[in-house]
Amino acid sequence: MPVSAVELTKRFGDVTAVSELSFDVEAGTITGFLGPNGAGKTTTLRLLLGLAAPTHGRALVFGQPYAELEWPARRVGAVLEAADLHPGRTGRDHLRVLARAVRVPPSRVDEVLALVDLAAAADRRAAAYSLGMRQRLALAAALLGDPELLILDEPANGLDPEGVRWLRDFLRAFATQGRTVFVSSHHLAEVAQTVERVVIIKHGRLVADVPLSELVAESSSLEDAFLDLTAGSRP
Amino acid sequence: MTHQLSSELLKLRTTRTVAALLLAAAGLTLLGTLIEGLSRTAGELAQEDAQRTMFSAGISAVFFATLAGLIVVTSEFRYGTIRPTLLAEPRRRIVLAAKLLVAALAGVLFAIVCVGIAFGGGLAILAARDIHAAVSAAHITPLVFGTIASSALGAMLGVAVGTLIRNQAGAIVAIAAYAFLVDAALFAAAPSVGRFLPGKAGDALAARPDELLLGPGAGAAMLIAWTLAFVAAAVVRSDRSDV
Repeated sequence: MPVSAVELTKRFGDVTAVSELSFDVEAGTITGFLGPNGAGKTTTLRLLLGLAAPTHGRALVFGQPYAELEWPARRVGAVLEAADLHPGRTGRDHLRVLARAVRVPPSRVDEVLALVDLAAAADRRAAAYSLGMRQRLALAAALLGDPELLILDEPANGLDPEGVRWLRDFLRAFATQGRTVFVSSHHLAEVAQTVERVVIIKHGRLVADVPLSELVAESSSLEDAFLDLTAGSRP
Repeated sequence: MTHQLSSELLKLRTTRTVAALLLAAAGLTLLGTLIEGLSRTAGELAQEDAQRTMFSAGISAVFFATLAGLIVVTSEFRYGTIRPTLLAEPRRRIVLAAKLLVAALAGVLFAIVCVGIAFGGGLAILAARDIHAAVSAAHITPLVFGTIASSALGAMLGVAVGTLIRNQAGAIVAIAAYAFLVDAALFAAAPSVGRFLPGKAGDALAARPDELLLGPGAGAAMLIAWTLAFVAAAVVRSDRSDV
């Protein structure tokens, strides 16, 4: 199983960000990870990627904690925040630094730059990048190891309509190759066009883990279903 | 480990921060050499002690190497690059070890450049003022190698402190306040205690001429002990912390 959360709980002091959350993401699917702001989506992704330690339960990728994977970049590519860049470093150098750490040849940097259509801007400093360019650079970094699983946090943020369509096509093609995408998003209309399954959380707890078709069949749209399921999450 | 090391080396070379710090260290060393070499009369500068003080201006390298070590870690937290870094290499001790090694290398480079400027500038001043060089190899050797060792250890201490504090501005203020206020004040008030502190142990290791400091060997032992203690704390913090 590419992604498994097993009774996953994370507390920050008195605040419980994620609470006894269990779900699986199956191979070869695009699964959307939805929830209102502050529902615990980013925390869950950080737990899955070993950046934060669970208070209780397990966060597994390919059946193991991320940090115990033999060669993690070969299995998992992740984008958490597109702003995770040094503004003084060029896009190409950002990727060269990571390529060395994930043990892929320098030629792979040019490949992923071409893949996300960023080759022309690669030698500019990241400070000059638009949010959309940062998103694409972060995605390029995630693809360096040619992973089987992509974990993406709000990847469509800052993308223009052309970029959104490009991302959708890219993720579909990625999943068609038998690979897996687990993607958090606020853009419900976009999610409705891209994902096959949705995991929805509210206050750190699971409220739905169903095929998109099932959810939409019961309501008139994903938006209606989402708002019904997460109603009352605002104080 | 070699991959992480090579990645960390490339990080240093692909931003301007470390180069700017090296430039600042070199500039301050040149200024120190000029002040020591030109503000004294020919009679004073003919003395061995005055010449040793002038040649030891390269000690500026230590503070800037410490800052470089600090920034190696804190810039990752400031810009969030710690996340891609730890996704690429989730074994945090490997990342920390690579940063310690790379910072130490930077420290060695800083010291070589600064000692070179102090000696080059100092000898040029002596020649221009027609003063005979009174220092011997017995003075120069500990000064050169002591400054290099002190600078490498200072940079590693910077990495450890940066790992503990994380906040870049906070860490820089803490190190600067410590180096220029706490360390100096404690040494002035109680030299017998203050000389064991990291700053003064580093000065002793770099063979700075001062009767109240420890000897170079004892200074080295103290600075190594301080560095190991901070690195141990940094390992614990890095193992346990969420990013």
